[in-house]
Amino acid sequence: MPVITAAIDPITRIEGHLKVEVKIDTVNGVQQVVDAFATGTLYRGFEKVLEGRAPRDATIITSRICGVCPTSHAMAAVLALDAAYSVSGDTPVRTASRLLRNLVHGACYLESSILHFYLLSLPDFIPGLPMAPWLPGYEVGRRFDPGTLSRFTTNFLAAVAARRNAHEMGAIYGGKLPHTPAFLGGGFTAIPSSDDNTAFGNYLADLITFIQTKYIPDAELLADLYSEYLLLGKGYGNLLAFGVFELDNSATPQLLLKRGRLVSGNATVQAVDVAQITEQIRYSWYSGPDANPAVEDTVAEYPKNGAYSWLKAPRYAGVPYELGPLARMMVNGDYSNGISVMDRHLARAREALKIAQAMQGWLAALTPGQTAYTDRPKPVTATSLGLTEAPRGALGHWLQVNNSVISKYQVVTPTCWNVSPKDSSGQRGPLEQALIGLPVASVDKPIEVLRVVHSYDPCLDCATHVTRAEPGAKVFALGALPG
Amino acid sequence: MSVSRRSFLRYCTLSAAALGLDALKLRLLNEALANPAAPSVVWLNGSSCTGCSVSFLNRISDVPGQPVDVVDVVGHAINLVFHPTIMSAAGEVAVSALKQAYNKGNYVLVLEGAVPTAFDGHACVVWKYAGQDVTYQQAVQELTARALVTLCAGTCASFGGIPASGSNPTGAMGVRQFTGRPTINISGCPANPDWVVWAVVQLLLGNPIPLDADGRPIALYSTGFDGTPEEPVIHNKCPRNPNFTSTPLALNFGEDGHCLQDLGCRGPFTKSRCKAAWNGIGGVYPPGAHPGHWCIGVNAPCHGCVEKTFPGPEPFHEPYTL
Repeated sequence: MPVITAAIDPITRIEGHLKVEVKIDTVNGVQQVVDAFATGTLYRGFEKVLEGRAPRDATIITSRICGVCPTSHAMAAVLALDAAYSVSGDTPVRTASRLLRNLVHGACYLESSILHFYLLSLPDFIPGLPMAPWLPGYEVGRRFDPGTLSRFTTNFLAAVAARRNAHEMGAIYGGKLPHTPAFLGGGFTAIPSSDDNTAFGNYLADLITFIQTKYIPDAELLADLYSEYLLLGKGYGNLLAFGVFELDNSATPQLLLKRGRLVSGNATVQAVDVAQITEQIRYSWYSGPDANPAVEDTVAEYPKNGAYSWLKAPRYAGVPYELGPLARMMVNGDYSNGISVMDRHLARAREALKIAQAMQGWLAALTPGQTAYTDRPKPVTATSLGLTEAPRGALGHWLQVNNSVISKYQVVTPTCWNVSPKDSSGQRGPLEQALIGLPVASVDKPIEVLRVVHSYDPCLDCATHVTRAEPGAKVFALGALPG
Repeated sequence: MSVSRRSFLRYCTLSAAALGLDALKLRLLNEALANPAAPSVVWLNGSSCTGCSVSFLNRISDVPGQPVDVVDVVGHAINLVFHPTIMSAAGEVAVSALKQAYNKGNYVLVLEGAVPTAFDGHACVVWKYAGQDVTYQQAVQELTARALVTLCAGTCASFGGIPASGSNPTGAMGVRQFTGRPTINISGCPANPDWVVWAVVQLLLGNPIPLDADGRPIALYSTGFDGTPEEPVIHNKCPRNPNFTSTPLALNFGEDGHCLQDLGCRGPFTKSRCKAAWNGIGGVYPPGAHPGHWCIGVNAPCHGCVEKTFPGPEPFHEPYTL
């Protein structure tokens, strides 16, 4: 039987533009994926756009790398800026800045996770509301009795409100979401009143109730009903986290979710040294050497023989790693089941509760009327780095300032790791690897592929921001496209 | 697989409590679905960040007769046949739904994100159809040609926005500049959901939408939430304006409630109805549930995100002049 190539283009219910192509063959009587190619199909060139701008513009501009995780980019930018501006010290001002940043960032985590489970993932399993755009859909196997279906549908509608409320909550201090301008190099612009704090707390209490009574139970029920997905979509099994949510004002703060690495087969959490990161581009539409983000200089090249994605392939010491809530929770010792499609959904739900409960503590520590900005002179020259986590995983911004303006800015995003193409030694990216061996019941309806893809919560505009096209890039004639 | 509209209505009636539908909403739904000529809405993303879609999901309103939230909009007011962020279908099934609307011709096109032209448009490929890659610029050319009307959601689609700024590495531009065709520009970064929904409702009601020289609906920044006329420019209606309040100028960040002109505020150069307009019911203040918020209200200088000059090369946190 010939190998069948099936492409899902576009992948929907993600952020950004993604195509996934799988080769399907029957092995030992089971029709399954035998090869997989993930293609990021958009790039925009944010680093080029940032060059020459005032350093503090980085929060406003990088926020727009992504409208689903804008606050994470603002967070990475302010960490890099605080370092570049030498903002330090254990002061009430820095405490207020840290708490407000964590609270608004946390609000966006809650919004993102609820959005992801209900709006982006659940339509892979349930028929959804009987109208466009939830129709047409693939005919999915009926594993739900009417009562269960009604529960998921009701909670879907409640989730639409809950994620909106999470953004309303974040906007109390953030002003506007997506794309809050309140994150500022040196601190945070808002000065909360006690009424603000009360309002935030009310929203937060409702969100905690939603997570405890709907989100987590629904994720557990889904995992129960589709328990084979606890054994599908593992991939390499290597996990990496930069860590997120600073708990103190020191130069290397404790983090609510720690920095660390887990190598498949080894239960000991290992350190993360960002100097070990390379972005590899043999199969990506760029030219130049594979390099660490601190020294990267990339040039778009399209078409390029053999290349098939606008994403580069970030690797740690040459190894592919999965990033995201499962990585964070396992590194932190808060999740210890397995690595699979359903483990990702379960870890994401449990992490949402952990973050929401921590937010209650940060909220209680906020002093009404406390200013949150530390003024420091603009540096003429600086090299710094901001490491944090977007909901989808580890996020880093590398900043260079020369002549008081941004001379270089590199961003490495979690989806770039997760959805990367093959690297320069031919190793597949984590998602591609996770698809290998996946049983596919019907080549015309590869719903199983969608379920694996969505478990990573892909955010492609983050992943493909990275390029430095030459000014006046040539228009290339359409040649034979790879893949 | 499809559910007939009749059986859907029956489902809604039986599940009204669960779906949060009351008698008024059921009637509106009935009316909307009863109109076989009701246009479809096709929403496409190009060189975008999806922020305008996320913002759209944040819709909340208490104005009688207006859709309350995004489920209300999508469920009762419009037939949203294609939206890549929320639709169930993927791949060719999804594209076929869009093609059906295109072939019928009765669709409102909503475009989010700039149009990149570098690499013969391959900086953004939106799908494969019949074995061929379709670039966003191709899709935009074809779809705008047959659309009843094209609505640009956000500053990128309206004017190019951030992707088109600086050295513009992907040859990105707004839809009107790319196609030469008229568009209704709901600029903003992101576009405010109330502005997008307002425009859609006007179109469904068949109301004319007077536009300014930049293609933006004049009503959206010169009419208050209560319908009374107001100054278009933010600074001229700002509660922190030192000219008609006793608000001091902020000397630096970290001050509460002061005028932000010297810290980079673009309010004097920006036409928008932003005060208490974001992430809540526009113009509602506490103790109302779902009060609105805005950038200046959290001591963040306006960054002029609705203007065709956004972002511009000027620093966001230093005094701004055009």
